[in-house]
Amino acid sequence: MIKITELEKVYRTEEVETIALNKLTMEVKDGEFVAVMGPSGCGKSTLLNILGLLDDPDNGSFMFNNIEVAHFNERKRADLRKHNIGFVFQSFNLIDELTVFENVELPLIYTGVKAAERKKRVEEVLDKVQIMHRRNHYPQQLSGGQQQRVAVARAVVNHPKLILADEPTGNLDSHNGNEVMELLTELNEQGTTIVMVTHSEHDARYSHRIIRMLDGQTVTENVLV
Amino acid sequence: MLKNFFLVAFRNFKKNKSFSVINISGLAIGMAAAILILLWVQNEMSFDRGYPKISRLYRMYNRDKFSGDLWAWGTTPKIMAPTLKKDYPEIEDAVRITYANFLFTLGDKKLTSSGNFVDSGFLNMFDLPMISGNPNKALGGIYNIVITQKFAKKFFGNDDPMGKTVKIDSADFFTVTGVLKDLPNNTSFNFDYLLPWSYLRRINQDDEFWGNNSVTTYVLLKPNASHASFDSKVKNMTIEHTKNGEKSTTEVFSYPLSKVYLYGKSENGKLTDGRIATVRLFSTIAGFILLIACINFMNLSTARSEKRGKEVGIRKVVGAGKFSLVSQFIGETILLALFAGIIALIIVQFSLPLYNQLVNKLLYLDYFNVYFWLEFFGFILFTGIVAGSYPAFFLSSFQPIKVLKGTFRAAHAAINPRKILVVAQFTFAIVLIISTIIVLNQINYAQSRETGYQKNNLIYMFLEGDMGKNYDLIKEGLLNNGAATGVTKSMSPITQRFSDGWGFSWQGSTPEDAKLDFVRLSSDADFLKVMGATLVEGRDIDIRNYPGDSTAMLLNETAVKKMRLKSPLGQIINGDGQNWKVTGVIKDFIFESPYDPVNPLMIMGPKSWFNVMHIKLNPGKPVAEDLKLAEQVFKQYNPQYPFGYHFVDKEYAKKFEDTKRTGTLAGLFAGLTIIISCLGLFGLAAYMAENRIKEIGVRKVLGASVANIASLLSKDFLKLVAISFVVASPVAWYAMHKWLADYNYRISIEWWVFALAGLLAMLISLLTVSFQAVKAAMANPVKSLRTE
Repeated sequence: MIKITELEKVYRTEEVETIALNKLTMEVKDGEFVAVMGPSGCGKSTLLNILGLLDDPDNGSFMFNNIEVAHFNERKRADLRKHNIGFVFQSFNLIDELTVFENVELPLIYTGVKAAERKKRVEEVLDKVQIMHRRNHYPQQLSGGQQQRVAVARAVVNHPKLILADEPTGNLDSHNGNEVMELLTELNEQGTTIVMVTHSEHDARYSHRIIRMLDGQTVTENVLV
Repeated sequence: MLKNFFLVAFRNFKKNKSFSVINISGLAIGMAAAILILLWVQNEMSFDRGYPKISRLYRMYNRDKFSGDLWAWGTTPKIMAPTLKKDYPEIEDAVRITYANFLFTLGDKKLTSSGNFVDSGFLNMFDLPMISGNPNKALGGIYNIVITQKFAKKFFGNDDPMGKTVKIDSADFFTVTGVLKDLPNNTSFNFDYLLPWSYLRRINQDDEFWGNNSVTTYVLLKPNASHASFDSKVKNMTIEHTKNGEKSTTEVFSYPLSKVYLYGKSENGKLTDGRIATVRLFSTIAGFILLIACINFMNLSTARSEKRGKEVGIRKVVGAGKFSLVSQFIGETILLALFAGIIALIIVQFSLPLYNQLVNKLLYLDYFNVYFWLEFFGFILFTGIVAGSYPAFFLSSFQPIKVLKGTFRAAHAAINPRKILVVAQFTFAIVLIISTIIVLNQINYAQSRETGYQKNNLIYMFLEGDMGKNYDLIKEGLLNNGAATGVTKSMSPITQRFSDGWGFSWQGSTPEDAKLDFVRLSSDADFLKVMGATLVEGRDIDIRNYPGDSTAMLLNETAVKKMRLKSPLGQIINGDGQNWKVTGVIKDFIFESPYDPVNPLMIMGPKSWFNVMHIKLNPGKPVAEDLKLAEQVFKQYNPQYPFGYHFVDKEYAKKFEDTKRTGTLAGLFAGLTIIISCLGLFGLAAYMAENRIKEIGVRKVLGASVANIASLLSKDFLKLVAISFVVASPVAWYAMHKWLADYNYRISIEWWVFALAGLLAMLISLLTVSFQAVKAAMANPVKSLRTE
């Protein structure tokens, strides 16, 4: 599904040049669950942003489903993104002015799904993350765990092939954290590929493979399964 | 998708009530002001242009050289229209219009009212809508009268006026042969009734003298006639008709009626610009006020960007394209603009009566007109797009990873667009403040100019009915019963020039002097005493003690100077078919505009003519008592007519109305601009305080006082106002310099005006900002630091 080769990304400000990715090469296969770990500033978030087509690399190749996307423009990236990729963030990033239902519905609106179909699919996925009874609440009225479950629901409502999770349990207590991890595992078992950045060894153990990064490069890979 | 947008818009609105209220009220006030001004502009632009035959209608003008300058003016000889109709095949019709003022009697109902004498083709030429009557015949008979709906209502109540008879003055009976719909608010015609020209001839007021320019002449060209060729043929008509007699040098030309109102100013004998300059100025001001309201909107919206940023980021991550975001934000703004527009309409509806008074018009909102609503929604759409475009592109350009990761911070560049917008707003506000102060100054200056006569306790009235015949009896009655201390007759009120003329000669005058124009007054006796004017040498005209004074003449100092008379007393001045003998010289007084230098003036003896009686009320008694006594005298000697009078001081004050209106409007616009700008500043300060809450917390922990922090937060805004002041001053100076150039008697622009305006702007903005600054500074730092 993902194959990146010698990927480079450099951030420049007036005085400082920071190498975020230094000729990074890696691969993620269909149906895999990969955890990316490493200290702050090692480039894991940059990697995730590039994988999510939110940012573009300076050099190197990025094959997504056998298509070279490294040079895609903003519109093409947005198009590819909305049909193939779901995101889960550490800080949930739900829109405060929309209800649970409306938040989850949002990606379907942008991919042009009809209203009746949207309702069916949103309800289905809310059921799956067990938040159906809160469908008309606003994000602020939910606990952190509930908010993250909504965020996961939103990430999967479009049936993406790939879910990118950026420290999904970072703002949660261990109980809620485990719930979210089990949810991700379940999705993975149903066939969704997952790439997750995490600081937690505990969470990483839910994955098939751990990639450890340092200074913009992979250092080791542990296969767990 | 739309539903989703509206939901977010609506919930955002509810969540940020104070922001929304500031934003919408600013926009609503700006829109209301713009609508009011545009209503005025629309009325001006449509003035005298709505007549169906407008493309073929022309007004006749004269052009001649006086004191070396070419002048064009729009009054013509009475004989011009019939001559045009007779001799020029290009013309379909030509009509004359002149002023009429009569007493109407119906049973015991009495009413003095003003109207027009017109040629019978008038109704057909202008197609004014009639309720009843035939426009081809209505003015066909000598004793026919056509009245307006309003006049009919006043006089006949709900009865059908057609065919009814009214008495005019004490003389003749007229039959109502037509009723006109009330005149629209965009025509320069202003009459209650129309009388046929044939009646004017019957009462011996028609003449065929080519030198008496006293009526307005309109012509309707035939559909295929060429205006240019007609104009060249008509050029010498007055010269031709006077070559065997008075030898006039006056040229004639025609000017499209559609241009008369807006482009009717005479400059070097050509008609140019005129009112259109004011229309352009007002349109610009309307545009600026609306722009300022839009700027507010942009400023507040982008200031809030950090809050909306997250939403943008998420929408982008889940697949929103830039176009969909831009249209979402513009759509939101249009929705707000619609809301603001409805509030604006309500404001306009309620402020129209006052505004009409201010601009002296009858403007209204035409709710039943489809075009009104089309224009209204077009206006909303325009405002929404202008106000929404910058925030929309600004917000939708956010990088999702930055906003979502929390690394996003609004740019704190040295010059950001928001600052430029604030500077633009305050520049406009300061220009308006300076203008207002200068206009008010100019009015004060002209008002404090020495009038040269005593206005208080002085009244005048037109000679109506038997007043002319019984003048001596009335004068004696008023003096005897103590109502007045002096009475005099004249050809016009002391506040208003009715007549001017040229063609005078005297010993030592040159042929050039025949083109020296004199303004005219007349007197029988006691002019100086009644007016309180000052005699320089000689004596007043006094027909009772000096029978020869029927051709006596007083000159003012300017006339003496212009005529180069060394010893004016006893000089014989020939003109108007008489030899006038100068008996006195008086000090200059303001007869015409208080902004202009005094023109040469002749006050002629009784061989001229009289229209007006001036009465100096007895200052020893209350005015009301004087008037009561005076009324008794008039009831006795002029019983047919109601007792009416004008106070000279009030009439004199009217000379300032136009300038005062300019001052009031400038002040109003300045006030509105300041209110809108301050609303924006207030909102902006609130967001700034919110954004810097952590900084404020840290500073307080480190020992900053409330005053330290309040001044820290206010300083930035004051800098912007200071920059605005620097930009505004030369702009205002230039604009007011041009405005003042129209006044001969004017103030010079002084530096303190600028200082005052700058100080005022500083003070107002400081008050606005400091409220937020102090609030932020007083907040508990523990609270603000914990939020991180």
